[in-house]
Amino acid sequence: MANIQCAGIVKSYGAHPVIEGLNLQIPDHEFVVFLGPSGCGKSTMLRMIAGLEEVTAGRITIGGTDVTHLHPGQRGVAMVFQSYALYPHMTVADNITFGLRRAGVAKAEIDRRLADVARMLGLDPLLDRKPKNMSGGQQQRVAMARAMIKTPKVFLFDEPLSNLDAKLREKLRTEIRKMHNTLQTTTIFVTHDQLEAMTIADRIVLMRAGQIEQQGTPDEIFDRPATRFVADFIGSPSMNFRLGRIENGAAVAGSVRIPLPSGRFSVSDGQEVELGLRPSRMGLVAEGTAGAIRGTVVLVENMGAEGQVIAEVDGAEMSFVTRHFRDLSPGDTASFALAPEHLHIFDRATGRSCLI
Amino acid sequence: MTRQRFIFLSLAPALTVLGLLAAISTAGAVWFSVMNRALRSPDYEYVGFYNYLRLLRDKRFFNALEISLIWELITVTGTLAVAILLAVLVHETVKRPLWRNLICFAFLAPVLLPRVAAAFIWRFLYSPSLGLANWFADLFGIGPIEFLADPSIALVSVAVVDIWQWGLFFTVILVKLLETLPRDPIEAAMLDNARVWEIHAYVTLPMLKGPLISLVLVKAVESLRSFDLIFVMTGGGPGTATETLDLYAYQTGINLGGRVSYASAMSILLLIATTLAFTLIWRAGRKWSR
Repeated sequence: MANIQCAGIVKSYGAHPVIEGLNLQIPDHEFVVFLGPSGCGKSTMLRMIAGLEEVTAGRITIGGTDVTHLHPGQRGVAMVFQSYALYPHMTVADNITFGLRRAGVAKAEIDRRLADVARMLGLDPLLDRKPKNMSGGQQQRVAMARAMIKTPKVFLFDEPLSNLDAKLREKLRTEIRKMHNTLQTTTIFVTHDQLEAMTIADRIVLMRAGQIEQQGTPDEIFDRPATRFVADFIGSPSMNFRLGRIENGAAVAGSVRIPLPSGRFSVSDGQEVELGLRPSRMGLVAEGTAGAIRGTVVLVENMGAEGQVIAEVDGAEMSFVTRHFRDLSPGDTASFALAPEHLHIFDRATGRSCLI
Repeated sequence: MTRQRFIFLSLAPALTVLGLLAAISTAGAVWFSVMNRALRSPDYEYVGFYNYLRLLRDKRFFNALEISLIWELITVTGTLAVAILLAVLVHETVKRPLWRNLICFAFLAPVLLPRVAAAFIWRFLYSPSLGLANWFADLFGIGPIEFLADPSIALVSVAVVDIWQWGLFFTVILVKLLETLPRDPIEAAMLDNARVWEIHAYVTLPMLKGPLISLVLVKAVESLRSFDLIFVMTGGGPGTATETLDLYAYQTGINLGGRVSYASAMSILLLIATTLAFTLIWRAGRKWSR
């Protein structure tokens, strides 16, 4: 087990920089998720930590050892790939024990550890099978077993659940998190799925165009997004944005007028801003309530326990989530409101949050 | 037009040509093999299996059979060994696509040479007085080596030419096959701390098992047709040291003896033996690659 430090990491392909001067500290035992849209450099970053990708400049240390130029096999890391990357011609048992056999571990020891991980991941009945005769979920379990048996200092997951169907993804996600709770091994998990990141992470590192946009606990990222990009990326349904300005202690955008709680934002009167309203922090209110937003319902999306209502306000669509969506149908007029303590305000020029 | 008729009509021209060229000559050979025809006299008569039974008492025939088997073994394993070693070497050391393509192009050149041309080039290289091979041997204080005149190394010397042509060609094929493999299992093996040779021995080459078996079969069939190479380089000599079955059949039937019927019987036996052998090898290969 070990902490990870990345200092001044630069990665470029030819003249084209992908990551520019990235600094990151990951403490021991932490479960960190690299989150971001495709092409943001999250997988490249993971592969550099694994040693599968050369670092153009900067230093990576794992557990105090400088691993920047170390062979991947000598870094004490284990990785689970999106494609599972099993050795197709080997049985499950051979796949799992390949690394130990290369390291010259005694046969009896290998058998004992194989039995342990196979039991933990429920692979006992599959040990003699070949990967091609197994389902995606089973293959990914084998890949996890292959990583676990090495008792590495660090686990690396590169979008491991992306090739699985939704139900299985949820199940394996829980299993991965449970495994971390038991083993407490420092883990980096790469995904582009914000829900996956929110549910599994101790800490999310949100990346954009090769740089860290924000890092923090899922709660911090969700409730206190540092930039408009983060606010937009996190949360489903995604946040409503309205261009507006600050007038007399309230944020105003068209017919929307939300009083600002004192001491929450650093804004000045007349400042051009962008308002962020999270649909899940909004709800229906009685007609005529102060600060209510009125709109015409365009569409109601049933999500089971709750529903997303899309309404037209000032000629643009705005969505909110309510449990009482069954009372609404397209064409109705709805009054809804946002709790003022959940309002987000972003500077229009820089995109940075105005939260104090 | 029904599907079956379409298939039949599409295959018909090829089958007709094959039938005219292969079936008639094979039937002719079978016909000759049960006669006692020889080029020195116009008379001949039916002798049944006499030629076949005589073959079983012919020491030179069994020598040729042995040489053929050794030839197959040396050229097939040699070609594959050279191809695998060189392909892995190129794959690991040459990363720039331009250099890789240039090397592949150069490796293709030998197989593009006509056999006879390759044979003559190497006869000069092997020459005890003028040859480059002996010049190198001389540098190390050995030689002159009679590459083609020494019975103990003549067959290997000729096989080197065959391996030079086909081993380099198969290297190109293998380099391209290695490039098509998915990167992930290789990277997983790197993370499993496998050394470079271990990655190839345990991961990449087993992943290429199917294509490798095909290459072995192609080369095995190809090695049967080395008449021109051996004929130009040694003519089967010294003595019978490089006399394969096809060379012996040629020597008996056309060159010296003119015993056409005897040579035909030999060819028919060769045909049956190879058909049987390749059917068995093909089956075993398919089972193994599964």
